[in-house]
Amino acid sequence: MTVLKTSMRNFFAHKGRMALSAVAVLLSVAFVCGTLVFTDTMNTTFDKLFAATTSDVTVSAQGASDTGETTSGNGKPPVMPASVLGEVRKAAGVQSAEGTVFSTSVTVVDADKDSLSPSSGAPTIVGNWNGNDARTMKITSGAAPEGPDQVMVDADTADKHHLKLGDEIGVISAVGTHTARISGIATFQVTNPGAAIFYLDTKTAQEALVGQTGVYTNVNVTAAQGVTHEQLKKNVVARIGGDYKVQTAKETADANQQDVKSFLDVMKYAMLGFAGIAFLVGIFLIINTFSMLVAQRTREIGLMRAIGSSRRQVNRSVLAEALLLGVFGSVLGVAAGVGLAIGLMKLMGLMDMHLSTDDLTVAWTTPVVGLLLGVVVTVLAAYLPARRAGRVSPMAALRDASAPADARASRLRGVVGVVLTGAGACGLYLAATADDAKRGALWLGLGVVLTLIGFVVVGPLLAGGVVRVLGAVLLRVFGPVGRMAERNALRNPRRTGATGAALMIGLALVACLSVVGSSMVASATDQLDKTVGTDFIVQSDSGQLITPQAVQAMKAAPGLERVTEYKWTKADFSTPDGKTLKNTAITAADPTYATDLRTETVAGNLADAYRPDSMSVHEQFAEDHDIHLGSTISVAFRDGSTAKLTVRAITSSDVVIDQGAMYTSIDTLATYVPADRMPLDQLVFATAKDGQQDAAYTALKAALHDYPQYTVRDQTDYKQELKDQIGQLLNMIYGLLALAIIVAILGVVNTLALSVVERTREIGLMRAIGLSRRQLRRMIRMESVVIALFGALLGLGLGMGWGATAQKLLALEGLTVLEIPWSTIVVVFVGSAFVGLFAALVPAFRAGRMNVLNAIATE
Amino acid sequence: MTSAVTIPRHGGTGGRTAVAARARQVVKAYGAGETRVVALDHVDVDISRGRFTAIMGPSGSGKSTLMHCLAGLDTVTSGQIHIDETEITGLKDKKLTQLRRDRIGFIFQAFNLLPTLNALENITLPMDIAGRKPDREWLERVVETVGLAGRLKHRPAQLSGGQQQRVAVARALAARPEIIFGDEPTGNLDSRAGAEVLGFLRRSVDDLGQTIVMVTHDPVAASYADRVLYLADGRIVDEMHQPTADQVLDRMKDFDARGRTS
Repeated sequence: MTVLKTSMRNFFAHKGRMALSAVAVLLSVAFVCGTLVFTDTMNTTFDKLFAATTSDVTVSAQGASDTGETTSGNGKPPVMPASVLGEVRKAAGVQSAEGTVFSTSVTVVDADKDSLSPSSGAPTIVGNWNGNDARTMKITSGAAPEGPDQVMVDADTADKHHLKLGDEIGVISAVGTHTARISGIATFQVTNPGAAIFYLDTKTAQEALVGQTGVYTNVNVTAAQGVTHEQLKKNVVARIGGDYKVQTAKETADANQQDVKSFLDVMKYAMLGFAGIAFLVGIFLIINTFSMLVAQRTREIGLMRAIGSSRRQVNRSVLAEALLLGVFGSVLGVAAGVGLAIGLMKLMGLMDMHLSTDDLTVAWTTPVVGLLLGVVVTVLAAYLPARRAGRVSPMAALRDASAPADARASRLRGVVGVVLTGAGACGLYLAATADDAKRGALWLGLGVVLTLIGFVVVGPLLAGGVVRVLGAVLLRVFGPVGRMAERNALRNPRRTGATGAALMIGLALVACLSVVGSSMVASATDQLDKTVGTDFIVQSDSGQLITPQAVQAMKAAPGLERVTEYKWTKADFSTPDGKTLKNTAITAADPTYATDLRTETVAGNLADAYRPDSMSVHEQFAEDHDIHLGSTISVAFRDGSTAKLTVRAITSSDVVIDQGAMYTSIDTLATYVPADRMPLDQLVFATAKDGQQDAAYTALKAALHDYPQYTVRDQTDYKQELKDQIGQLLNMIYGLLALAIIVAILGVVNTLALSVVERTREIGLMRAIGLSRRQLRRMIRMESVVIALFGALLGLGLGMGWGATAQKLLALEGLTVLEIPWSTIVVVFVGSAFVGLFAALVPAFRAGRMNVLNAIATE
Repeated sequence: MTSAVTIPRHGGTGGRTAVAARARQVVKAYGAGETRVVALDHVDVDISRGRFTAIMGPSGSGKSTLMHCLAGLDTVTSGQIHIDETEITGLKDKKLTQLRRDRIGFIFQAFNLLPTLNALENITLPMDIAGRKPDREWLERVVETVGLAGRLKHRPAQLSGGQQQRVAVARALAARPEIIFGDEPTGNLDSRAGAEVLGFLRRSVDDLGQTIVMVTHDPVAASYADRVLYLADGRIVDEMHQPTADQVLDRMKDFDARGRTS
């Protein structure tokens, strides 16, 4: 008990010195708990949503995906005849059944042709107003739609786009554009995270979405009293046969949930990963804090040993302090985590993702995980310093100076560090030269981990050299103040090393990802330049297919040399090796596609693949199925008949765009698939006449003005968009890494603050013999900058190494160009200097305010 | 007005002695009301230039406080202190720091040196901080006088206690301050090392014309001084010129006896 009492007293006596360590624990635990609460809340929200919007049993047309997206090639949702509804109603145990029509392959625009679709990536849904919806939504103004010129909109969408009753709305589907005026606004009774939903009456929905009446996409069935969903499903299947997909509420919800869950899981684990990095960085901070506390208390500990405390007691008293710190930081962290989750939900609100705090879900595991992690990590981090405390000799009580550094330990450290780094470098080398991506990735992971640990171990030794170099370059300008700053940074290399290493981890990841990111952009740009021979690409960003009307409009645009259509369908292949490959994708394009995308062939001429009854396969496929030039493959097209196609070209598998594609011509496809079943275009490529690029671009845009669902991009747009997308992703990751970097900055502040306390007498002496406050503050700032730059240098070097290795490895996947984003690297390096300045603000201020006489008198 | 780098021209003994520092009606009090403690009670003192002055007195007599106030390390409650012609009472921290840097030298009882700097760097530190080039010739002379020539590249941890104090003396001398203040400079040394350091201080007064003020409670140390001031209860109660250790000891015993009976 005495141990605990001493620990408690020590803990509270030094609470100021523990503060930053507590903040580090708090932040990391908060991030973990915040992530868990946030993802759990999202799950709850979707659970409730799906439970509310799903009927007891749902019948859908064959070919419909679980989430109701359009899968048929003609851009319309798969449907069933209205007679199915009648049959379902006759099934036993059915209380009621209702036909629904809805589609997500739609674009909805306002009167100005501006899209009303959510920007968050949530779907846009247009359907008929049915009983199921009436249960989950409440009409808050106006009335349900009746007749072809009425539409009802959900309240969130109406709010966001300032839509009022009577406003005109256009629903654009594969059928065409249907215009209606808003008759009503309905509000969700459960949280709708962000889908934009529009309702038409049943007949209008059928016409606008499918182009014919008397069909439904789904039938919602409600069970009679006492009939289970399972039983009802059996009864319905017995009645209508197996041509339709019949699912119970649970099956539908599970299927819906699956998509959401896998997305949420990716997000959860990514965020937990970043929390893990923050924890790792926090460990350095905690180690430093306890090392310094132990060093400062050497005499005190020596005294305790002299009067009879055992090593274990000393050891345990330090660990008990760590335990207190861990508990304190974690408890606050758990609370902060819930706050963080609420903050995140609000932030999502700004990005059109509406979440309600009513759904806030704090599982019992969340605080347990948070507390456990926080406490275990803190105690583990304090273990080394605690052991060192246990080794303090009773003689320390009598000696004045703290023991000099152990030379043997540092030699051992050097050897271990160099061996680890060397092994890591070997791993990286193997990864860079690997010809199998999977094995290479393994080597890369191993190399990254080993070099990181190696650098951390060897860091204190590197600190000497690096700080001297930095000092020679930067600090000499500042004369004796700079020199003293350099000496101070060098004084305890282990401390400088650990502080720098904390910053190194975050910055290494930043450097690595920025190298990979810019290499991705550079490689893709390079590929586009090398292989793309067309000027414009037209596609729908919501996944809608391109209607023949739109293609006609494009073809009519002046200044174009050619327009290439690109379709995609599935077929069952029977290959020469006697195998049948079901549902294999095949691309049908105009022959000019061979010019628009210059795909290398290993045999034959790609243009020949567009001749009648011809096709191309890719190298790997040819190898796997014993296909040569001139082989015949029997291809049973979906929605069509079977063709015997001759292979006239074999394309290289080593391409980035259209990897693994097999081509045939649209004319060939049209021979076997009836005109009304022909898939619509996925993409359209347009090439301008020489020198008319700008005019053609304008003309194309004008031609597509009436089709706001499609976007035209020229090569510059396309590259820019690619760059933006990667940039956005990187920014998100940098944002998450910011947590680790903030903890690292806290570490620098912590080290400086504790160093200032430790050097109180020295500071007093310097002030007495004439060091001005300004010089003193500058000295501390310089030390901070040097530590930060040391971390940055190591981190950026290591990260660029990782990034370059990753690029070499990913060259197998088409990441052929290595580009080091020097501007980013330099900005990060210079930024680190500012981080150092910033971190020194408070410690420098406090050192400057120290009373000279008291400082000298300090023991 | 005397500039910071003026070498005091007068020898340690004889001749006209100007006043290097003076205190007039200096009061230093801590706290207020009933807990008010007066450390210095209307002290008047003149420190002669080119002389070695010792301040003695029992613990709590205010001797250290007087020195701290004279040296511009501590502020006074009332009264004036001049270093040469400059009034330092009322100076802002920036000016005081400059004054300490350019015109005053210090030798503390312990922890005089920065552990990260070697002996030479420690010696030149005040000039480095001021951005002044040390006078090579003078520096060599100082180093020679304190007998450190072979150890200039050593770090403090590699020097003995006596050597460390000698480095501190060299540092105090090297910048040619108007006054050197010593706060029990030999308090942590054995008698031989102490005698060595005191010998250097004496010689710097005699040979280099340095002004030195030293606080001590050691009669032997005080016997190196030209003049001894006795403080008790924050007042100067006596002084002695050209003392010997025995005289100082006797005087101290007197005070002790008086202190006990009163």
